[in-house]
Amino acid sequence: MARVLNLVLKRILLGVMTLIGLTVITFILSHAGGPTLAVSTYINPRSPIPTSEQIKVLEQRFHLNDPLYVQYFYYVSGLLSGQWGYTNTPVFNGPVTTAIAYFLPNTIELSVLAMLIIVFVGIRLGVFSASRQNGIADNMIRVISFVGIALPAFWLGLLMQETFASGTVSNWLNLLPLDGNVNTPLVAHLSWYQQGISYPTHFLFIDALIHGDLAVAASNLIHIILPAVTIALTSLAIIIRMTRSSTIDSLHQDYIKTVRMKGIPERKVIRYHAQRNAMIPTATVLGILFANLLAGVVLVEYVFDYPGIGQWIVQAFLADNIAGIMGANLVFGTILITSNLAVDVIYLFIDPRIKY
Amino acid sequence: MATIHINRIVQSARWKSARLTLMLLLKNPTGAVGFVIMLTYVGIALVLQFAPWIIGIAHPGTMIPNFSNPYPSPPSATHMLGTTYPGIDVFRAIIKAIRIDVFSSLLVVGAGAAIGSIVGIYAGFHGRLVDQAVMRITDIFFSLPFLVLAMAIGFTLGRAFNDVLLSLVIIWWPIYARLARSQTLAIKNELYVKFSLVSGNGSLKTIFKHIFPNTLTPILIQMSVDLANVILLISGLYFIGFAAETPYLPELGSLISYGFPFALTAPWTIVYPGLALLIFALGMNLFGDGLRDALNPRYRI
Repeated sequence: MARVLNLVLKRILLGVMTLIGLTVITFILSHAGGPTLAVSTYINPRSPIPTSEQIKVLEQRFHLNDPLYVQYFYYVSGLLSGQWGYTNTPVFNGPVTTAIAYFLPNTIELSVLAMLIIVFVGIRLGVFSASRQNGIADNMIRVISFVGIALPAFWLGLLMQETFASGTVSNWLNLLPLDGNVNTPLVAHLSWYQQGISYPTHFLFIDALIHGDLAVAASNLIHIILPAVTIALTSLAIIIRMTRSSTIDSLHQDYIKTVRMKGIPERKVIRYHAQRNAMIPTATVLGILFANLLAGVVLVEYVFDYPGIGQWIVQAFLADNIAGIMGANLVFGTILITSNLAVDVIYLFIDPRIKY
Repeated sequence: MATIHINRIVQSARWKSARLTLMLLLKNPTGAVGFVIMLTYVGIALVLQFAPWIIGIAHPGTMIPNFSNPYPSPPSATHMLGTTYPGIDVFRAIIKAIRIDVFSSLLVVGAGAAIGSIVGIYAGFHGRLVDQAVMRITDIFFSLPFLVLAMAIGFTLGRAFNDVLLSLVIIWWPIYARLARSQTLAIKNELYVKFSLVSGNGSLKTIFKHIFPNTLTPILIQMSVDLANVILLISGLYFIGFAAETPYLPELGSLISYGFPFALTAPWTIVYPGLALLIFALGMNLFGDGLRDALNPRYRI
């Protein structure tokens, strides 16, 4: 146990180092354009355009004429004290930290639903594929997973809207809402929902349940389905392939032969013996899967006009808003680093043979 | 004399090995499909680069807007796949975009693989502090989704076409560095590497003669899959409007972004460019998968 604890600590230390490296990158990128660009981070977009004297004062105040290592120190202490700058985009106008509180819960809702679809559907399809190795079903699943990995997420999103959404000219299936995250008239006069932020948890779905407003919760859910399925389809292939190959590997092990010789039905052999052990290698791709999912989130949120971090970074990019881009980068980086850390630590407990 | 002879044998063995790889690749149906798709796209790109008049295209470097009739019109005899805003012929724009997309992803992947292999082999071969430093730096690159990192770097570099490519090269070397490093670590202690060093070959010669050829297989496979990834990333960046400075540059993602506001009324403006993108990415993934099987020593005996 002491050994495992040691490894966990080592892994956490690595994660912290990566996090520090991430702040170095965002620092370099946001200060590479010189002090005048860097100062735009700290100007509230609602205030009148500052004169050059005022900019000089701001440069003094935020230490933008000091040596770079001194600036980095102030940059990090600014981040730690919540001074992330101001973002000025069509979707949000105000401090970056407020923007994160506004956008992040929506992105988490979307990615959790996408992740659930990926894990449930992906593992089942992978195991099914492995149990019919080289059969028709197996080949079809493999072709579909190849197409899935090659699909441009934004294009798939547009096609999904075209096919399933209402409010389009074609109105084909007319099943689901076109964009956004909730039916706006439904939330217009709610006391716990103001300017796009719901209270107390900021997660609209959870808050709606807390307040017992099932109509809002249902509206939120059906708005998320289309983007979540889009993201899931483009990331599904990773988990199908891994589950398939590791299930095939474990089906060739000796203990499976023993189980079969005991006369256990094939369905149970796969479900209780092969699949269990096949899950261990599958856990390793969860990190890659999460990175892929977050990248998909950016484009898909933009297409579906969904108020999340991805939509925000695109709008910040288009509006030349440096604080928004770097803030979103820090959020994405922190999520990925912690999720990779969690995957590695969990993996350490599942499989005691691992060393770092 | 003897050395010349050995060189000849080695050379003919290399040719045989390359021929065998191609044969195994074409025997595998998915690999063959991928190979044909790749040849088609590269062929279109080459024709457009060197002899665009053959297929009757006058300006391969720009999508020609037509403001007298800007709104999308459905496929017809004059416009095979219709037109998109502002009056751009979709079919011609796709053909032109294939050249830019294929060449830019080749450039990004080639440069990334070259830089990554050099860094990775150096780190793996010399080890210790350099190795640790390289690994930590690649960790940082992998802590961000590539699309997001590309946006941050592109913001700092600028919005011209070259800046997009440069920011992608900056992102795309770490994966090759890791591959080359792990491969180098695996063979560094083999007897033939030690023998080469002991017999007086410098470390540079040993790396080029023994280590570099052995890192090639995983790198080639990764490159073929990455061609698809890079093209998807470039088109994604152009779709969100990365190329504000080059408005009519033919690129599949920006072509889709022109059709985006009309997508719901004029589906042809987005469907066909997306299909061109999908087929290329699918082809490169199939090709990479076929290559993985063809280069697998288990099937080569």
